[in-house]
Amino acid sequence: MNRMDAKRFETLAEAHGAAIGRWPRDDQDAAFAFLAEAPEVAQALLDDARLLDEALDELRPPSPSLALRDAIIAAAPAESRGWSLGRWLAGAGIGAALAAACAAGVVIGVDIAAPSGASSLDAVSQTVAVEDDWIALPEMESQS
Amino acid sequence: MKQSGGDPDEALVARVGRGDQAAVQALVARKLPRMLQLAQRMLGDAAEAEDVAQEVFVRAWRQAPRWIPGAARFDTWMHRVALNLCYDRLRRRREQTMAEPPEQVDTGPAPDRGLLARDTGARVSAALAALPERQREALVLCHYQDLGNIEAASLMGVSVEALESLLSRGRRALRVALADLRE
Repeated sequence: MNRMDAKRFETLAEAHGAAIGRWPRDDQDAAFAFLAEAPEVAQALLDDARLLDEALDELRPPSPSLALRDAIIAAAPAESRGWSLGRWLAGAGIGAALAAACAAGVVIGVDIAAPSGASSLDAVSQTVAVEDDWIALPEMESQS
Repeated sequence: MKQSGGDPDEALVARVGRGDQAAVQALVARKLPRMLQLAQRMLGDAAEAEDVAQEVFVRAWRQAPRWIPGAARFDTWMHRVALNLCYDRLRRRREQTMAEPPEQVDTGPAPDRGLLARDTGARVSAALAALPERQREALVLCHYQDLGNIEAASLMGVSVEALESLLSRGRRALRVALADLRE
């Protein structure tokens, strides 16, 4: 711990006020040591700073109104909105997958020699599974 | 509930990001007074302060779902947003003032000064408003928002030494402006 002299103590009181606990942490131990060593000098400097602290503390802005609080909360995204989006995307995914399956069916119907549509059906399962995981995730997290 | 050691708001912000309404209300209860007071002390205008506080939360709602913990505290991020919004408004005021110079404001002793002196809060508000913006910002962050010197300096983009200098000059100017209150 570095020793603190009166000049440094005065500088800190002038900048940060009378509460040593609100001074930079690195300076606090030395400041308390100086206060113990030279209580009259230190206390006079703190008393001087305290006068301004007390004046500053007289500035008390009003508490937030209920109207402001309610307007802010109303603007927050709702939980159901996230679910709706998830469901919409899931629905869109299923729709797209079914469309892909139909298209695959058409291709199979046109080209008899082609292999079965298993790969397309796999793609449908995969899409739904992925979408289920995607929409299930928020619920799992909200329960943790 | 998981509680991060680094950011006390981390778990709450994650829940807000998932649209948890209880978390939304908790974050508003925790942060709205701080944001409103910050804006009020920076701008000295209640209506503008409310607008700023509201806008901070609009951005917070957008930010929460994509917030990546660890890089910064959410409270620090909210302070940065609020300060930027305050500076936008202060800049607009300056531009307006240059276009339409206001009447000269008398800050010296006057016969009715005694009446005003009774309302110390109003006197402090006026003295704070008369400070250069950076000195006011330093005082608001350190004295009123109770931020540590490292966090405040980082928010302001200055060194800890520069912050100390801004604080000293600001407080010295306030002592002069409020000298009659000390008698």
